[in-house]
Amino acid sequence: MRACCSRSRRDFLVRGLYGIGIGAGLPLLLNRTSAALAAEALQGTSVEKHPERILVVVELSGGNDGLNTVVPYADPAYYRARPRLGIREAEVIKAAGGFGFHPAMVGFERLYKDGLLGIVHGCGYDHPSLSHFSSMGFWHTGVPNGGESLGWLGRLADRTYETSTQNVIVNLGNSQSLAVRSGSHSPLVFDDPARFRREGADDEKRALVEMSRPKGTTNPTLEFLASTAQNAAESSDFVRQATAGYRTPVDYGIGGGLAGNLQRVASLIASGMPTRLYYVTYQGNSFDTHVQQADLHSRLLMYTADAIRGFVEDMKRLGRDNEVAVMVFTEFGRRVEENGSLGTDHGTATPMFVIGKGVKGGFYGRHPSLTDLDDGNMRMTTDFRRVYATMIKEWLGYDDAASVLKGSFEPLGVFAS
Amino acid sequence: MTPAQAVDSLVEFSAIPAALKPFDESGIWDPGMDPFPPSRAEAVRLARERGEGLGEKVRPAGSQRRLQPVVDKFFYSLAANSIETQRLGLWWANRMLATPRPLEEKLTLFWHGHFATGQNKTRDYRMMLRQNAMFRAQAAGDLRGLLVGILKDPGMLVYLDNGENVKTHPNENFGRELLELFTMGVGHYTEKDVREAARAFTGWTNDVLAFKFDADQHDFGSKTFLGRTGPFNGEDIIDIILQQPVTAEFVGGKVYKHFVREELSGPVRAGLGRTLRDTGYQLKPLLKQIFLSKDFYSPASHATQIKGPVHLVVSTYKKLGLTEVPTIPDFGRMTASLGQSLFDPPNVAGWAGGRTWITPSTLLQRGNLFRDVLFPDVKNFRPPDRALSATDRAVGERLARGMDITDATKESDATPNMTAESNMMVDRDEDYNTRYGGYKGYLMAFERTKTTPRRPASVDLTAMATAAGANTAEAVVDYFARRFLSVPLADKDRAVLIAFLRGKGATTESSLRELLYLVLSLPEYQLG
Repeated sequence: MRACCSRSRRDFLVRGLYGIGIGAGLPLLLNRTSAALAAEALQGTSVEKHPERILVVVELSGGNDGLNTVVPYADPAYYRARPRLGIREAEVIKAAGGFGFHPAMVGFERLYKDGLLGIVHGCGYDHPSLSHFSSMGFWHTGVPNGGESLGWLGRLADRTYETSTQNVIVNLGNSQSLAVRSGSHSPLVFDDPARFRREGADDEKRALVEMSRPKGTTNPTLEFLASTAQNAAESSDFVRQATAGYRTPVDYGIGGGLAGNLQRVASLIASGMPTRLYYVTYQGNSFDTHVQQADLHSRLLMYTADAIRGFVEDMKRLGRDNEVAVMVFTEFGRRVEENGSLGTDHGTATPMFVIGKGVKGGFYGRHPSLTDLDDGNMRMTTDFRRVYATMIKEWLGYDDAASVLKGSFEPLGVFAS
Repeated sequence: MTPAQAVDSLVEFSAIPAALKPFDESGIWDPGMDPFPPSRAEAVRLARERGEGLGEKVRPAGSQRRLQPVVDKFFYSLAANSIETQRLGLWWANRMLATPRPLEEKLTLFWHGHFATGQNKTRDYRMMLRQNAMFRAQAAGDLRGLLVGILKDPGMLVYLDNGENVKTHPNENFGRELLELFTMGVGHYTEKDVREAARAFTGWTNDVLAFKFDADQHDFGSKTFLGRTGPFNGEDIIDIILQQPVTAEFVGGKVYKHFVREELSGPVRAGLGRTLRDTGYQLKPLLKQIFLSKDFYSPASHATQIKGPVHLVVSTYKKLGLTEVPTIPDFGRMTASLGQSLFDPPNVAGWAGGRTWITPSTLLQRGNLFRDVLFPDVKNFRPPDRALSATDRAVGERLARGMDITDATKESDATPNMTAESNMMVDRDEDYNTRYGGYKGYLMAFERTKTTPRRPASVDLTAMATAAGANTAEAVVDYFARRFLSVPLADKDRAVLIAFLRGKGATTESSLRELLYLVLSLPEYQLG
């Protein structure tokens, strides 16, 4: 729910600029100016050390096959377990230490060579769930087997930004991810920005804005709807204008969903949106490759690597690469041994990726053993919340990661301080 | 009629005669297209090996783009099945609007969400049509019938990969979702149970549109499942699952949440579970208990459900007095923009429903769509079943300008260093041209699928208001609120609406439509 009280001058300024007022027809240049003013207004009051920094989280839904993404080509056990699906050594894009990328991930090869890509081996959690929905829920909340109702990014926003700060979180998608569910912030969720608008003549829109506000009833569903309507009324014009005017020469590839959404994130960043946390999903359980996975997985990885590389390139073009980092995760890896249908079943540990100019490129953590298995699955070597803590502490500069993550997790030293 | 009689007539719907139109199929599957290959690459591999594929011959050695006919046909099938599925969705929506048995269609939609299967994976509308008929036939039957029906359903077998579940390497997808999503819920079984269930379902596969038991691939060995041991097959697994009290509570609770409200107390859940179990999993007694319960009529349950997109659109048409679903704007496109496509749920868990339907963006959309219904833009309307993507349109335009296929299908004009790998892959032009195949496939699909007649809604709000005797701004606003909203209009909002209508001067059909658009855009209108 939206807070009603305690308006500081800063709140007023930020709200004024990004709330209803900015909406109609301001030229982009003026938007940029107001963005700078808003960013300035944020300075000094934030509890973080780096209030200008932005985190983009990319979710690969369905359980990405980590072993065929970051390939342990030097380990004969890999080829024993994957006689038909294993990526042949000659095809692997070699990186370091006997590991390399799937041949479709040319985009990641470039990021790696440019020193912008950190790979964290063997991420997972104790007592892993092999259910998509449970495991994804654990990654979303950051509290495995814990029954937490808010998302880790939602809790981070709750702790670091005042309730009245608008649009701290943007979630591109058709529905809100649990990862961004917040106690006091109302994440801005949208799919197609071109359609993120209220249609109608001015008098119709005016009447609807008037009726889009808390209703003061005891019906919790109605109040939820009314506060969402208010948020929509206040944000839609800005988002639509920011994304519609965006042009870039950078090729994000053809991976429809992810490429398009990362480009939208780029447009919002370019327009000076005060958002700090972006959440983007490769949707629809796409990475759930139980059957005939080789071609499909190759395509998915290519789209993913292309889109992320394009995004990083675009940030560089905009001169914003110092301010943006990307974290990539999936709910689990897949079984070490391939199944009988040229696919792989649900597994456990999986690599995570951290990308950006601030990153010290290279490998982190230890790859799990492919022979010392737990019922056919790898034993995780890095708790995924260490990566979350890395993003919170090292990147965003918020020291009390433990209270967000409900436990103390050692950051990995991925970012040059 | 007493409440019990009313509920009886709702639930015992098979007594009501219903002569509804069957789906009018276009006939898009040619001989040779079955079984359909899992990917374009696989279609090409097979065609190289056999000299033909998908009913098309490979061109003689030495000719240009030898495999192009097969690749064209592959993309034709994807496009034609997608269009036919859109037509199927429209047919179903019309059925929902016209049926004298509303609960039958509501339950069919409920089971579609519960046993979620999507055309995006099956790539075969025929499977979706058959599955839909099965859900309707079993809608208020018994859970065992539904479970056996769905576990032998070709669409589901493909969707959860069970066609590939073989004894040497069991595929767990099917067994896991059966336990987690269809019957028991997470936490009531072990990983070992999942693997053992997967073994019992080995060899359950499909021969295109029919269930097939492949004894050679079935594991006849002993399994230990939920504490019992024996040489179980798939139906044994279902029976053991049905013996678990948690199954009745899980399914009964889900029906309750769908029809009553999201929150469900432990005792109510247990009571629903008992009813289901005591009646051998008959669904009618459960439904009657739910619809007659005090809970169903309590304030806490009143107007707290958020209408799902399909429900929202169909029920609005019903309230507008329409007898046929308008096709401008397009029904499937409308519900998709709100997060629900019939025959294409987001994943095997179906639609999460409730508050997850609502984001700032979908909430605006919910209003906008009805503006498009009330003020249809016939001139600029582009039917989705005849629309090319921007890429395909560009290919078509370049070909029309006389370019050859190679040049016409080069997408990227970015510099080589800036071109993403995926665009370079598609640009490759050897034995076949993928981008041309995608374009050609759509054109073929346009020819072979029946055209959906496009017409806007015929709405007469003036007649509606006149018939209700509403002849002042206040009376019209009150009439619309009564007819369309399930909660009272707040005084402040009522005043806004009255002022709006008065500001229009004369009460014309157009101003009534604007007013109705405002009413249908209210947060209140989202409540069921």
